[in-house]
Amino acid sequence: MHRKKQQQFFQEIIEQHKGILFKVARTYCPDEEERQDLIQEMMIQIWQSVHKYNDQYKITTWLYRISLNVAISFYRKSSTRAKKHTVLNEQMAEMPTEEKSENEQHLNLLNQFIGELKEIDKALMILYLEDKSHIEIAEILGISVSNVGTKMGRIKNKLKTRFSQL
Amino acid sequence: MKELELKKLWQDTNEKLEENFVINKKNIDEVTRVKVHSILGSMKPIKIFALLVGILWVGIGMIALSSIYLNSFNEANKFFLFSASIQVGLTAISLYIYLYQLITIYQIDITEPIIRTQEKLSSLKISTLWVTRLLFLQLPVWTTFWWNETMLTDWGILQWVVTLFFTISFTVIAIWLFFSIKFENRNKKWFQLIFSGKEWTPLVKSMELLEQVEDYKGQNAST
Repeated sequence: MHRKKQQQFFQEIIEQHKGILFKVARTYCPDEEERQDLIQEMMIQIWQSVHKYNDQYKITTWLYRISLNVAISFYRKSSTRAKKHTVLNEQMAEMPTEEKSENEQHLNLLNQFIGELKEIDKALMILYLEDKSHIEIAEILGISVSNVGTKMGRIKNKLKTRFSQL
Repeated sequence: MKELELKKLWQDTNEKLEENFVINKKNIDEVTRVKVHSILGSMKPIKIFALLVGILWVGIGMIALSSIYLNSFNEANKFFLFSASIQVGLTAISLYIYLYQLITIYQIDITEPIIRTQEKLSSLKISTLWVTRLLFLQLPVWTTFWWNETMLTDWGILQWVVTLFFTISFTVIAIWLFFSIKFENRNKKWFQLIFSGKEWTPLVKSMELLEQVEDYKGQNAST
């Protein structure tokens, strides 16, 4: 792909699918300042991988793979990476203040539940909540469809137990 | 709360938050122009530097030792010669590990599925354990390199007892640590004591992650 076309493609996917980056970053990074760094890292990795994209997979599958891989790896690097990155505009990602909703209690419990999950289980939980099919989840995680079902079943049971305690 | 309601709650909340989440076009352009050091990219120069310094050290060591072996073996202090040979040999093995890490870094593709990528990244980090094992294995050598033949004739019992005590203790500890420092022993108290510092956090976290990866892979194999 020509560089200009790559730039155009990159801009399009970031504009159209910024929600994926936002959701993944929000799930893995409660700290707002670190979250901006995480989103920046995701964008860098997407840009550096743009030339490798082929339409064998859906663009969302490809984006989830990158953003989740970066988010899971990010927590190990947070202390060293800050010094090594060229600082981009601080206002790059303007994060909104979370609004209170009528379902605040449920949402808090859900966020608390996700926060307690291990890294890969968190990824599975996001994909489940985003209503992704078992096939797409299997492609993103790199496990069999039946394994997705098994793992999902376990997490759903835990979730059910947690909500039944309300 | 029902499954569908929960999904809707999650999706609606995120939708609201996303409406206010802005990534400026200017900054998107910036990412494509500015040469940045990424997470993986930032690791490479350190490894390359370590590899070059190691090659230099081993290279000079090998030339010097070969020269002694070939030209002045009979006159050389054998304790120093053998100790230095073991040290250079172990450093050469460490170089091989660095090379392995470098190759793995280049092979990591962030667009691959999560389990595969995270397994590679965690294994890469955990291979650092090998360097620690080799570091410990060098311990006894540092207690013998200064030995010489006059010790055999001039030394008294007390001097021998003290010297041998340190050398034997270091040898036993080094061999035991060499065989015991491994991923499987990560939950043992002595292991956690050695790797309790802040600098080991990424390694410990990599181990935890590899455990998760194995859990997913294990189920993959059995299904």
